[in-house]
Amino acid sequence: MPEYLVKENALADFFRELTQDRRLLTPQGQGENCRLEETDPSKVSLEYTNTHKSPKECFFPQTEKLLAFSKEADKPHPNEYRDLGDKAVATVIFGLRPCDARGLCVADKVFQNDRFTDPYWKGKYEKTLKIGLACLNPSPQCFCAAMGGSPFGEAGLDVLAYPRDKGLGLKTLTEAGEALIKTTKAEPGDLKSEIADLEKKAIEAQGPIDHFVAINERKIMELYKAPHWPTTAEPCLGCGVCTFFCPTCHCFDIQDEANERGGIRMRNWDTCMSALFTQHGSGHNPRPSKTERIRQRFMHKLKYIPIKQDGVRGCTGCGRCVVMCPANIDIRSVAALMAQTQAS
Amino acid sequence: MSNLDTLTQKIREKAKSLLEGGQADVVIGYRTGTVPLMAAPFFARTPQDCDQLVWSSFARLNLANYLPGRTEKVALVAKGCDARNAVGQVAENQYPKDKLFILGVPCSGQVDAAKVAAKEPRPIQTSEETDDSIKLTGPGYSTDLKKEDVLRRNCLTCAHRTPTLANELVGPEVPSLPTDDFSDLTALLAKSSEERLTYFKDLIKDCLRCYACRNACPLCYCPVCFVDETRPQWLGKSTDPMDTMTFHLLRGLHCAGRCTACGACETACPVNIKVREFNRVLDKTVKENWSYEPGLAWDQKPPLTVYQPNDPADFIK
Amino acid sequence: MNNPYLPYPVRIADIVVDSPDKSLRTFKFEFLDPEDENRFAYLPGQFAELSVPGQGEIPIGIASSPTEKGYVLFTVNRVGQVSSFLHNMKPGDIMGIRGPLGHPYPVDTLKGKNIVIIASGFAVTTLRATVVWLLHPDNRSNYGRITFVYGARSPGHLLFREDWEAWQKRDDIDVFVAIYKPVDGWTGKVGFVPAVLQEICPPAENTAAIICGPPIAIKTTQPVLFEAGYKPENIIMSLENRMKCGLGICGRCNVGPEYVCKDGPVFTLAQLNELPPEY
Repeated sequence: MPEYLVKENALADFFRELTQDRRLLTPQGQGENCRLEETDPSKVSLEYTNTHKSPKECFFPQTEKLLAFSKEADKPHPNEYRDLGDKAVATVIFGLRPCDARGLCVADKVFQNDRFTDPYWKGKYEKTLKIGLACLNPSPQCFCAAMGGSPFGEAGLDVLAYPRDKGLGLKTLTEAGEALIKTTKAEPGDLKSEIADLEKKAIEAQGPIDHFVAINERKIMELYKAPHWPTTAEPCLGCGVCTFFCPTCHCFDIQDEANERGGIRMRNWDTCMSALFTQHGSGHNPRPSKTERIRQRFMHKLKYIPIKQDGVRGCTGCGRCVVMCPANIDIRSVAALMAQTQAS
Repeated sequence: MSNLDTLTQKIREKAKSLLEGGQADVVIGYRTGTVPLMAAPFFARTPQDCDQLVWSSFARLNLANYLPGRTEKVALVAKGCDARNAVGQVAENQYPKDKLFILGVPCSGQVDAAKVAAKEPRPIQTSEETDDSIKLTGPGYSTDLKKEDVLRRNCLTCAHRTPTLANELVGPEVPSLPTDDFSDLTALLAKSSEERLTYFKDLIKDCLRCYACRNACPLCYCPVCFVDETRPQWLGKSTDPMDTMTFHLLRGLHCAGRCTACGACETACPVNIKVREFNRVLDKTVKENWSYEPGLAWDQKPPLTVYQPNDPADFIK
Repeated sequence: MNNPYLPYPVRIADIVVDSPDKSLRTFKFEFLDPEDENRFAYLPGQFAELSVPGQGEIPIGIASSPTEKGYVLFTVNRVGQVSSFLHNMKPGDIMGIRGPLGHPYPVDTLKGKNIVIIASGFAVTTLRATVVWLLHPDNRSNYGRITFVYGARSPGHLLFREDWEAWQKRDDIDVFVAIYKPVDGWTGKVGFVPAVLQEICPPAENTAAIICGPPIAIKTTQPVLFEAGYKPENIIMSLENRMKCGLGICGRCNVGPEYVCKDGPVFTLAQLNELPPEY
């Protein structure tokens, strides 16, 4: 796929052209106020580190109504659930960081797995074109390269953009991305070697990189039985902030809410850090203490997901959990401990 | 040697002697975090572990939170607020007094990461602390901040910066602050009840209901919190604003008269909600009605958990 | 697009109270749309979400066999909010079922083998379905000797009495039904399931065992099978974990990388030996 340029004075037009028949979401605001918002094409900013929350909520909102029923209606039948459908609208997101786009890919393989397709996710995911913004200066708490990604990573994106002379460099990555850029006045250009140089520099900015390769080589039960888990888990508050902010965490609870006339079935984000998450009706709990729950989270990210997704890890190195864990449980330290696990 | 270094050294020495002498099985303190502006909870079980213990102004979590349910003898590195919570837990039968050793640290206030971010919005790589200032570095820059400009709000009105009931203090008492007059609440309390409701609704509009505030709170030790009860289910599980408000109001009431203003809830909140606004009004109410402050006596029960014939009853009309 | 969250509407056709303490009831459902019965094509060992409007869903193993046409059966233990509500529903009420979910017992790969089926307590349900399916004239000749071992607390706790009494009269299945403690009037076997199995355990050669029951029964049955020479790959079990979606998405039922709902609930002991014991 080819590359394109957008000059500084053509940027506003470029964003207007992108949004001819779709809404535009871009990161707006700074720091903890930075979030993906519907944006006027003239107000797109390239000056942000990353959105505070991960972009998963665009496809998987924290609360989502799935079904409804009425106790009175004759049609379809009283008490018969009907599909509320997904509320997908054609969208282009500009400015996804490559770590987050990669996170969406991991979640997508869960929502559209080998046996079932989640229609609510799929509707929104497939109606959204994703333009990434590469990281020229990764933040100190970023570690995408350690997790197999790159500040110029392409996974999950239709187009990868990067800031270039106050304008943009673009690399189209999918047919849909190419078709979208063709609807704009972006000029063709050969940026291959420039991109390669910038990528190298951005990866070097992340410092010496440990890829924690030994985790891939250890067996599940070797990692599971490692002695460090109780110590790793001891400071955990069980709040689940790590999971709420994680771009790949996708767990949810299904709840009915009803009154005398009818009701809805919805899903809400849930977290494996909560004891109730796995507690059986009988009271038995397969993950009764925070040691099992912490182990589940890190094993899921670094071992279970790679087993199911051809080696791709469930951590993309976005750094949100590292920065936000109130007890400073740092996935980089935990990965290092896992990588030190002895073969049995 | 800076005061911080002296405190760190004293904590390590005392922690070692407590473990070696068998007076404690574990010392719960802080170590240097893996990210800037962070002192992380740390559990020292061997004398060698103790060399990782530190004191800093980034020790925002309340370590008394780790006491309930524990069977070991604990030496707790505690700020004034944390020590009062530990005393409160003893009074509320959550941890036995004879297993607790409070290693009190006179505290000059803890740094508010959000205030730091407001003054230095660029990504921060390292943070180094002296007694009065914090030096931040990031890609291509270095900034010095005065510590007093970035302290947490609750630390600015703290009534008991030196732990009151510690088994031992690791440093000299710090000067007391003027008595808290709750003057920061004047504007809020002047509002009509509708205006106040609007204020609180706006305060929690970003709440994710992750319950990090609850989980970081040493008062919230219930085995099953009312929000998690399923039979009956008191509260919906969605982000419905009414359910979210119910959570905050009820948690506020459950904590009334027990909160030591440690600020751990606000530290843990991932979306910077000023959770303590709920508690602060109640702190004022309890103090004015019962002249009560929590955690100042080993056997003192919170006023809302006991009845006395001379309790004020003006609210019954 | 087919929405896997949308239940098929069903009518409760019949409810049978199964245990003296009324904690077990077997529900017979009929699909409101006969076409849905075809869409709900299942095999023994699969489960479905019983969907009670306004209350929620519970995953329950299917107790009927697909060879039984016109209805589906589920035995429900009253433990939580949804099951308690369901226990108070009446024949004629409309609710939903969503499925079939999970993988069935590996009836295809078991062709040509002897099968010993071991059930404890009310976990007999999907094994009842399996026996009915195996004994069907279309299937019986594909399998060798079939042995059915079933135990429960008291005669009143033994489910599907008509079925196993009929099987006892047949000569193409060996049936051993036991209660744990002797009571007046009971002439069958007495003892826990492992003890009964030890007495009658068929030789391991060319034989697979399917076990279903509470964790303690599964744990104590395994040594008997090992002693008789059964290999872990020939010991088949069905796991239970807390579930919500049933589709391998919502995340809570995993045992290591495997979701009990989507990749199970049926696993061999050989598979489980490589996985964390989180069930």
